[in-house]
Amino acid sequence: MTTEGTYPHAMGGVSSWCDLLIGGLPEFDWQILPIRAGDRSHSAIFELPPHAAVVGQIELWSEQLPRRRWMVRADHRARESLPANLVRSLMGWEGSYDGLLDALVWCRMRPHAVRRAFRGAGAWEAFLGALEEVLGESHPDAGPPPQLDAVEAARLYQTIYWIARAAAVPTPQTDLLHVTAAGWAAIPALVHKQLHGTDMLLTEHGVYVREAYLAAARSPSSQGERFLSSRLARGLSRAAYAAADSVAPVTEANAAWERGLGVDPQKIRVIQNGIDAPPSYTDPPGNLKVVSVGRIDPLKDVQTMLRVAVEVSRRVPGVRFEYWGPPTKGQEAYARACEELARRLGAEECFQFMGSTRDPHGVVRDADVVLMTSISEGLPMSILEAMAQARPVVATAVGGVPEVLRGCGIVPPPGDVHAIATGVATLLSNPELAAHLGRRGFARVHRIYTQKACLAGYRDLLGELAGVEMAA
Amino acid sequence: MESPGHQYAAGVIEARLGRGAQDVLEAAVVLEAWGGVRAGRALSLGSRVVPPKPPRWTPGRLTTEEPGRRDGILSEAVALIMAILAVASWAGPLSRQVGTSSLQQAIVIALPLTLALQWAIRSRYLSRRSGLACLAHDRLALCALGLLAIEVPLMLLRPYGPLAGMFVAIWVGGTVLARRGWALPYGLLLVGAVIGLEAELPAYPLLEVLTATVLIGSVTAIRTGEEHSNEPAGRVGRALWAGAIGAALGGLLVGDPSLGWGVHGAFPALALLPSVLGSFWGGYHLWKFYDAVPRGLQGTSLTQANQRNHRGAAMGIFLGAILRLVGVTVVLSGAVLLIAEWTSGTNRLSLFVGFGCVALVTMIVNVLESLAYARWALFAAGASVATELTVSNVVLVHAPVPGAALIAGTLVGILVALPPLLMLLMRPGRVLATSLWIQ
Repeated sequence: MTTEGTYPHAMGGVSSWCDLLIGGLPEFDWQILPIRAGDRSHSAIFELPPHAAVVGQIELWSEQLPRRRWMVRADHRARESLPANLVRSLMGWEGSYDGLLDALVWCRMRPHAVRRAFRGAGAWEAFLGALEEVLGESHPDAGPPPQLDAVEAARLYQTIYWIARAAAVPTPQTDLLHVTAAGWAAIPALVHKQLHGTDMLLTEHGVYVREAYLAAARSPSSQGERFLSSRLARGLSRAAYAAADSVAPVTEANAAWERGLGVDPQKIRVIQNGIDAPPSYTDPPGNLKVVSVGRIDPLKDVQTMLRVAVEVSRRVPGVRFEYWGPPTKGQEAYARACEELARRLGAEECFQFMGSTRDPHGVVRDADVVLMTSISEGLPMSILEAMAQARPVVATAVGGVPEVLRGCGIVPPPGDVHAIATGVATLLSNPELAAHLGRRGFARVHRIYTQKACLAGYRDLLGELAGVEMAA
Repeated sequence: MESPGHQYAAGVIEARLGRGAQDVLEAAVVLEAWGGVRAGRALSLGSRVVPPKPPRWTPGRLTTEEPGRRDGILSEAVALIMAILAVASWAGPLSRQVGTSSLQQAIVIALPLTLALQWAIRSRYLSRRSGLACLAHDRLALCALGLLAIEVPLMLLRPYGPLAGMFVAIWVGGTVLARRGWALPYGLLLVGAVIGLEAELPAYPLLEVLTATVLIGSVTAIRTGEEHSNEPAGRVGRALWAGAIGAALGGLLVGDPSLGWGVHGAFPALALLPSVLGSFWGGYHLWKFYDAVPRGLQGTSLTQANQRNHRGAAMGIFLGAILRLVGVTVVLSGAVLLIAEWTSGTNRLSLFVGFGCVALVTMIVNVLESLAYARWALFAAGASVATELTVSNVVLVHAPVPGAALIAGTLVGILVALPPLLMLLMRPGRVLATSLWIQ
């Protein structure tokens, strides 16, 4: 299993899902290959079960070089066309999958030559030529490219170097590759599959390319930076989709995106997330508390939530909003901007950032309403947890949310402060309706979104791909 | 929700982004996230709302972070002056107490070792933003063991070994103290030792106390330095290369016997002062490199990104640093020469020229190393030492002027290191992409 900035080093929905899957399927031996930024925080947050082991680590943006095996005669000859080939195949609108694989496999075969290839004068010249070719492409769907400057080109050159370095890291012998995001996590798997013919399963929680475009669209970056980051994500996703033997989105909404992005519908099998729900429930406590659990991240649109809180507090005096969760790593500035907005809106009276919690179930149980204002989601575990505790949910209509909350929650459009606030105020002022929706959610989780069903789906799929018949 | 039409879709995108969509995917993503349009429909609508014209160009935002810190620079400079003057003042009383030969041999061993350790520690730890935290994280005990591994063999080399060992510990410890912002107390400690030596206190116990104080201070500096950081330390391999370069440069300083370390009293150390201060200012200017090179390239089109630019930011900063080094060295050397009669005859011009050349080759080699051309840097430093040793031992056994071999060695080093560096710096785009951002 390859992960990207998640399991076992960081908390979050994808990490929880990995933990559930690995812990729940002991009939498989799991080898984890995490990809992460090269800092010192190497300690794993999740304790791995005996049938799982971390078998290496791909560190990006670090100073470290590939480990040298002194007894092995290495091929150090640089290939000056490497950066140019990578930029053509990854950034071109119709980039060549075969060209990409050829370049990535070359990196795996000559890990010590990658740095030399990128530091050569000829490599940089060829890269610039290839980038100009990409910018000169004409395709009706691609739109006109922006102008790039030398700094943006150099930044892309550096990013592509790290893609090459990620490809160069050896992968262990395995029967099946399970990639947990259609981005960087796919790189080592692409090479492994090309070299050994191993089958590859891709699970997407959100749609990688969609989230990359959303992040770029909302960032204050220049057009050039937006163009490069979103194009690169698209290139990586296209390669991951092309290589995957099976794609397992967590919701039908993601499957629709994947079909739209060109994935063969025959390859797609939706396996919904599941949760280990308690056997009984309690009704909401009636304390006028609205709770949200999740990372502080632009994708969660916390700023809309703050505006919702202000509007609801006008309609329902005494209401309190609690946001449980830390900022996503790298989004600390967004978190500070949210706190600043809370001050500007005068929301400090009714809205509080609570930080991390070790008891998300208790936090949700203590709420009258669970709120989520995301602009992008797959199938959020936080909603399943709220339903498992029989709490009514107001959540924006993104990703798999409308599908999950069918008949047991309020689903306003994303970013619509008035509609979201109306949903929350309605539930707070109508406890019977709130309790009724909560009970329906509880029943729905027990009927459809069980941990057992989720694990069974993966057990079957992994067994099929590995060519073994699994006992239920 | 009703399926919106083409105009509605374009309106949603314009309202949300304040511009047209970049491509079909961005249009679809925006329509789904904020327009409530389902994925399939959003993708088909997206292709109809991609604008035909490219967006108006805006330059990229630049967020660069300089490695290490630049505050407390004045106190560091003052401390450096105090340290050099103090060490220069030690020479007389020390040679009287321990003997000229012992002092000379101690310096000849200690200088290369000190520079090797300083370059290695700087490469792996101190050049980083949270350098002391990196050092603390790498287990203080391990670092102490490393230092012991150097110190213990030195202690066995009697009679000059213990003295050399103490010099190494005092000078390397000083680097750590300066990084912590404790350069002034360090300088005052050295001045205190001068007063003690001049008062005829026994040299060894005095230096032992000083060594212990500096080492305890260094450990305290590391432990109480920066808060915990996730920033990783540099590569061990790179630190070893840096250490080798430092050792070669140290070898260059002591490889010419005509300099008379420990023989001519305070003179060589005093003659070193102008060039050290020159390098200090030049090196301070070079800190801008990481920030100024990308800043200078902002807005440069792709076609110009690989063109030669003699006046580019990289070349400008390098030449600025050289100018500062040479300027300060020349002016201060003149000043020291002017007061020669009060400093026991520090009037040998060739030594000032030699040390100035050492500072120059050190700076060039330093830039090469910081751009991760360590092999070339070591080759240049090694060529300098080899030339110096050849000249002093074979060609000019009786040097016409003191420091002649040193000058010859450093000139060879400059000739070896400078042309490739200039070729590189002439293309700032290439430097940024292939050297600064890929190490």
